[in-house]
Amino acid sequence: MVLALLYPLGYMVYGSFRDWDPSQSLSESTFVGLKNYITLWNDPNFHESTLVTLKFALSVVTVEMLIGVGLALLLDRKLRGMSVLRTLFILPMMIAPVVVGLIWRYMYHPTLGVFNRGIKGVGLEPVDWLGQHALLSVIIADIWQWTPFIFILSLAALQSLPRSALEAARIDGATGWQQIIHIKLPLMMPVLIVTCLLRLIDAFKVLEVILVMTEGGPGLSTEIMALRISRTATEFRELGVAAAMSNYLLIMLLILTVLMLVYNRYMEYRASRAMRVAQEN
Amino acid sequence: MLNLSKTLRCLTVATAMVASVAIADPYEEYAGTTLIVNFPAHPHYDAVRKILPEFTRETGIEVEVDQLPYLKMRERQTLELGQDEGDYDLIAYVVFSKADYVYADQLENLARYFMNPKLSDPSYDADDLIDGYVYNIGFAGGTKGYLEGKTGSLFGIPYGSETSILGYRKDIFEKHGLEVPENYDQLLDIACKIPELEPGMGGLSSRAASGHHASHAFLLHLAPLGGRVFDDSWNPIVNNEAGVQAANALKTIVDCGPEGSASFGFGEALGSFLAGDTAMFLDTTVVAGQIDDPAKSKVVGKVGWAMHPMGTRRGSQTGGFGIGIPKNAENKDAAFLLMQWLTSKKGDKLVALAGGNPSRFSTHEDAEVNARFPHMATFGEALKHADPDWRPIIPVWGKINADLGTTLSKVLTEDLDIQEALDGVAERTKAVMEEAGYYTWSN
Repeated sequence: MVLALLYPLGYMVYGSFRDWDPSQSLSESTFVGLKNYITLWNDPNFHESTLVTLKFALSVVTVEMLIGVGLALLLDRKLRGMSVLRTLFILPMMIAPVVVGLIWRYMYHPTLGVFNRGIKGVGLEPVDWLGQHALLSVIIADIWQWTPFIFILSLAALQSLPRSALEAARIDGATGWQQIIHIKLPLMMPVLIVTCLLRLIDAFKVLEVILVMTEGGPGLSTEIMALRISRTATEFRELGVAAAMSNYLLIMLLILTVLMLVYNRYMEYRASRAMRVAQEN
Repeated sequence: MLNLSKTLRCLTVATAMVASVAIADPYEEYAGTTLIVNFPAHPHYDAVRKILPEFTRETGIEVEVDQLPYLKMRERQTLELGQDEGDYDLIAYVVFSKADYVYADQLENLARYFMNPKLSDPSYDADDLIDGYVYNIGFAGGTKGYLEGKTGSLFGIPYGSETSILGYRKDIFEKHGLEVPENYDQLLDIACKIPELEPGMGGLSSRAASGHHASHAFLLHLAPLGGRVFDDSWNPIVNNEAGVQAANALKTIVDCGPEGSASFGFGEALGSFLAGDTAMFLDTTVVAGQIDDPAKSKVVGKVGWAMHPMGTRRGSQTGGFGIGIPKNAENKDAAFLLMQWLTSKKGDKLVALAGGNPSRFSTHEDAEVNARFPHMATFGEALKHADPDWRPIIPVWGKINADLGTTLSKVLTEDLDIQEALDGVAERTKAVMEEAGYYTWSN
């Protein structure tokens, strides 16, 4: 199992130290040491790609967390038709990413797209969605597709909260907001952190939707790292450089994961300490 | 004596009959063979599928087609061609793949097949194949490594040839008394006049999206305006006067084009012309079928065709596909017979009548083909000026092309200074070429 897990990873790391063309097997390629890593380190296009990735991932995850958790808090009650509503909410994540890209690409179409037709309908100037506002446009599409993921997990977390704590708060006269801030959110935090981490990892690797919508353009304004890796491997035929880029991405994700886990541990430690102090008093 | 002479006559007739049977059926040895071919999902290859049953009926050779979207096809071929024994007997490939496959020794040199009297059809008439395409898609090892030349050799045959052609709205041009542009000054002038004459309509819809779309559109203008990406010593000259002129032409076309045209890929550019949102379309000949299809087009019967306008010279694009035999193919001889049949005069005409893009001069001039597709004669004329060197076909082109395309996209959307942008491309291209060893023999 460990071998199955680590072999592909080892293959990628090994490949990143080689000058490797797709028409060669890895053993036929030439060893170049750290050259691929150094080339990338000094490559302005790679820097731009990294920046776009960070902007994209942080924006979508922040907005998705806010909307997803907000919706879960709003809909955590017994309502008629709730199960239908939940199914409807998760529909976007069931659609293949390529189809999502195509749908949004046509909705953003300058003349035929539903957005510009609506905007023109009320007498306003049309918007160049995939030109001047390309990054914002792909961010909106991602939020549409993945907010339901946060919503579903948050709702599950909310519904598994100990009812006794909420009852006690209500008896003590806590308002709805106070319950959310002081009870629900702190108790949901471990789930929210894992959810946020999963979305961050995914947002760093998103490829198809952006590939279909903008192909990374205009310029490099939406060329996130996954897309650059794909182009480096297929268009530039530099598998070694693509492998080195993947390793940089992996390192970035590892750092993020460790930071979030450390934060989670710290919060747990603080909570247990507060509880201990309360018990001692 | 009489008997001897009679016997001799009988023997001669019998020998002639045996010989004629042998000559008449060069396919006999291969009847029952099943060839596996890899073709792209493309209108030309959809037409090819319609004529393959005729090949099987005539030869007894079965053909199984693995048809894939173009990018998937290339990925699959990269994997397949690297194996000791491949699955494919015949593959279609785009021109960039020629450099990669030949350099990696993955395609058969066709000389030994054309030298084999049992395989090579004497009536094949290779001179009838369109020159620019043979050199562009089939040749390797000549001038610059990818063009015609004494050191070159044939590795594939063009099949599904495309060039650039100007489609224009006859009704709009007639309504405003406009002349069909013959040169670039007229083209750009009319492109910007149209939005004034027909509010809401763009002049010319062009590819412009970041990456290979923008790069393609720029190179489309660079060749006729007298430019090249490299000089004869591989020094980048994309930033010279012709390069700046070509980038300016692209920017003018996009600025005077339909709404949002700076983010148009090929699909959107064509879609805009089909929807009647633009008066001109300068791109590949492969679109003719869709323009005449009432299910896809609002401009059926309204489109006229003209040659790609001239700059300082004629230089329309060379694109499309070629077919070649992988080195690791199982049935190479039978694959050659299929390749020869498909690209023969008969096969080329059949595929043209089925809606494909012919690769022979004679097919473009054929009365039956022209009666069915009246634009074919103009397309044939345009193909005579197809420029096999309109873009370089070298292994590092993918990287240079991507840089050129993203930089031009910045010119179109962020108003980056054209000269500065192209100087940057030239500088980075020089570094890529240096690393790839193109200056090893300099000094």
